[in-house]
Amino acid sequence: MASKAKSRWADDEADAALEAQLKKEKEEKKRLKAEKARKLEAERQAREAAAAAAAHEEGDGAHGPPAKRRKVSTEPDTRQSAGGADASVNIPRLLRFEGGAFGRCRSVENYDKLNDIEEGAYGWVSRAKEMATGRVVALKRLKIDPKDRGGLPVTGLREIQILKDCDHRNVVKLREVVVGDDTSKIENIFLVLEFVEHDLKSILEDMPEPFLASEVKTLLQQLSSGVAYLHDNWILHRDLKTSNLLLNNRGQLKIADFGMARYVGDPPPKLTQLVVTLWYRAPELLLGATRYNAAIDMWSVGCIFGELLTREPLLQGRNEVDELTKIFELCGIPTEETWPSFRRLPNARGLRLPSNKTAMTGSVIRAKFPLLTSAGVALLNGLLSLDPDKRPTAKEMLAHEYFRQDPKPKQEVMFPTFPSKAGQERRRRRETPNAPARGQQAVEIGAVDFSGIFAGREREERGGGFSLRMV
Amino acid sequence: MSHMANPLATPDQLFQRRSFGALPTELQDTIFFATQCLTQAAGILLELPQSLTAQANVLLARYWLVEPMLAHEFSDVSAAVLYLTTKCSGHPRSPRDLSNVYAYLLSPSSSLFRPPPTSPPPPGPIHNNPSAYYVSESAYHAFHTRLLALEARVLYALSFDTHVSLPHPLAVTYLQALDFLNVRQEIIGRRTVQYLNTALLSPQMLYLTSQPNALAVAAIYNAARDVGAKMPECEWWEVFDVDREELGFLVVGMRSVEGSGRKMREEVMKGWGSGMLTRRDVEEELGRRGISVGVGNGGGAHYDAEEEAARRMDEKMAEMEAAS
Repeated sequence: MASKAKSRWADDEADAALEAQLKKEKEEKKRLKAEKARKLEAERQAREAAAAAAAHEEGDGAHGPPAKRRKVSTEPDTRQSAGGADASVNIPRLLRFEGGAFGRCRSVENYDKLNDIEEGAYGWVSRAKEMATGRVVALKRLKIDPKDRGGLPVTGLREIQILKDCDHRNVVKLREVVVGDDTSKIENIFLVLEFVEHDLKSILEDMPEPFLASEVKTLLQQLSSGVAYLHDNWILHRDLKTSNLLLNNRGQLKIADFGMARYVGDPPPKLTQLVVTLWYRAPELLLGATRYNAAIDMWSVGCIFGELLTREPLLQGRNEVDELTKIFELCGIPTEETWPSFRRLPNARGLRLPSNKTAMTGSVIRAKFPLLTSAGVALLNGLLSLDPDKRPTAKEMLAHEYFRQDPKPKQEVMFPTFPSKAGQERRRRRETPNAPARGQQAVEIGAVDFSGIFAGREREERGGGFSLRMV
Repeated sequence: MSHMANPLATPDQLFQRRSFGALPTELQDTIFFATQCLTQAAGILLELPQSLTAQANVLLARYWLVEPMLAHEFSDVSAAVLYLTTKCSGHPRSPRDLSNVYAYLLSPSSSLFRPPPTSPPPPGPIHNNPSAYYVSESAYHAFHTRLLALEARVLYALSFDTHVSLPHPLAVTYLQALDFLNVRQEIIGRRTVQYLNTALLSPQMLYLTSQPNALAVAAIYNAARDVGAKMPECEWWEVFDVDREELGFLVVGMRSVEGSGRKMREEVMKGWGSGMLTRRDVEEELGRRGISVGVGNGGGAHYDAEEEAARRMDEKMAEMEAAS
């Protein structure tokens, strides 16, 4: 019947036929189901309903093509009469999924630029005001290289795609994407992001006194709640660092800059190891793992934790080898017990580690943070576990005792505000290294001798004989 | 929840396309169907997972509700959408690959939209003639430039929203929940996926009018009927938040694709030469019908809505007469 249907009308007719059939089937099922006492009654009403439906369809025929809506209106009636006493149960309550609509981008001319903020690796950011509403936003212009024959940058497209899907108070909101006025050729693309006054990096650099313990907890709690949201939605951020964490004047932390982020599955697909700014990069990435998971973000969270306490980045390696050295100095040398599978990682085969294991395998975090409570040390130790499987997930972190102990996390509204720097512009000084660029080559850490790492610092500074390799 | 929902076409967008779009409806449908088939064929040759090709199909359908169909060559739009979809995925394809695949599919050597040879193919290199789909460096450069311009254009038209939730994974979950005991799961599962994939080609744009849960349920309903599986004796679709009206519409819509597709190939595209439909074919056809069409959305000849309705009614009558 439906096979030769093509136009809308034909479908409606077939639709009607099918619906009548469905209706009939349903009535039959209803009859079977009905209790014996009500059986006769139900049958009578079903007949009535069928007759009514038939009459209704005749009416439709007379009035030309049936309007689909008309039939819907009769449906609940027949349902109710047939259902009898349990009519109220029969009205289905269905969940409706709202996905919004689609359409063209608006023009950037809807915004009035106020001042530049910074130039990042992926684009220029400026502060702007939406003219219609007066709302202040951050405009991030995608860097597009017209000579790049690959078209629009993947990092930018991924950032847009991921931010569009995200809705969490600790993740920066993407309001829309706008383009330059000339739409015959799309060259200027701007992300309209919610404007957040500060980034954590510059606050840390400028504050005379470190954050209070309660303030560190508030920040960490918000960070882990944002990261938990991302991981719950199968997103790895892959570039968590203090300069990518924004803080507004109401004490709210927002994770920003999703240029490195991507969706992953479980088990994780093969991914590039060239992610995360060096100082926040997990040891498994440095050792060349291509299958990694959310634990790499948790390592970065650990580094940020340390940085919040001291106002200094925790592990400032000059290169991959130096970074690994600093990690081992802080967290101890990996052994088969503390990190069972690490020897199988590509770059770990040539590592020469100190033989005197017992002395150097322990972590010195306790000693490095004497003012931190033991719960805090336990959390930091967990986050900075060399073995990714031993790091807590973001959710586990949120439930950690550290957040329940006194001092309790400070309420966000009670959070101190920070002086805006000349109208909040030019806020970021890029002192941290940038996240690795796409297409860069992974460093292969060859046969590196770590055996002297606790003896003399000078030796391994020269010792990093590594080679480049194509990936 | 974003995994369950898609942005849908607004009634306005659908109305615009059907009423004042300069192209006659059946031409629009044919272009849509042919280009979606082309996209699928390219996806296969590029060895893409169907999940990506299907996303490209959905984005293409959305794009054509925003921008006029005749603005760009159909095969270029198809290639650009595929490029864009694969770019952000784990299976990027280079413009070079796309260029080669599309050149082949559009060449006489490809069997896409060409009848299988009635007689055994004559000996010789006629049926596979590599020089017919050789891409010269300048042709590649031109294709590449068009591809990049269209990539940006498509993103602009869709507000950079490339989110597509496919019903396929939901359908598998629903099938497991339903557990049709008298049929093997592979059989009904395969049939369900076939319906879902065929629905991508439907000019009714089912993926733009229904959410994935409804598509999944309708495909399962059709598959169950086809393989004779025993369905639950209640309004089981309501468990999956689908009402009967939508289900009925989708069931018919999905079943009609095969027939309407065949009809388009046999009737509308016949006599246009063979192979993939091009913009030129459509313009020539419009010339034959004496319709002048502007490229832009409002440009060119406007239809009187009434005249259009009358024309469609005539077509309908002719169809009914032919059927009886």
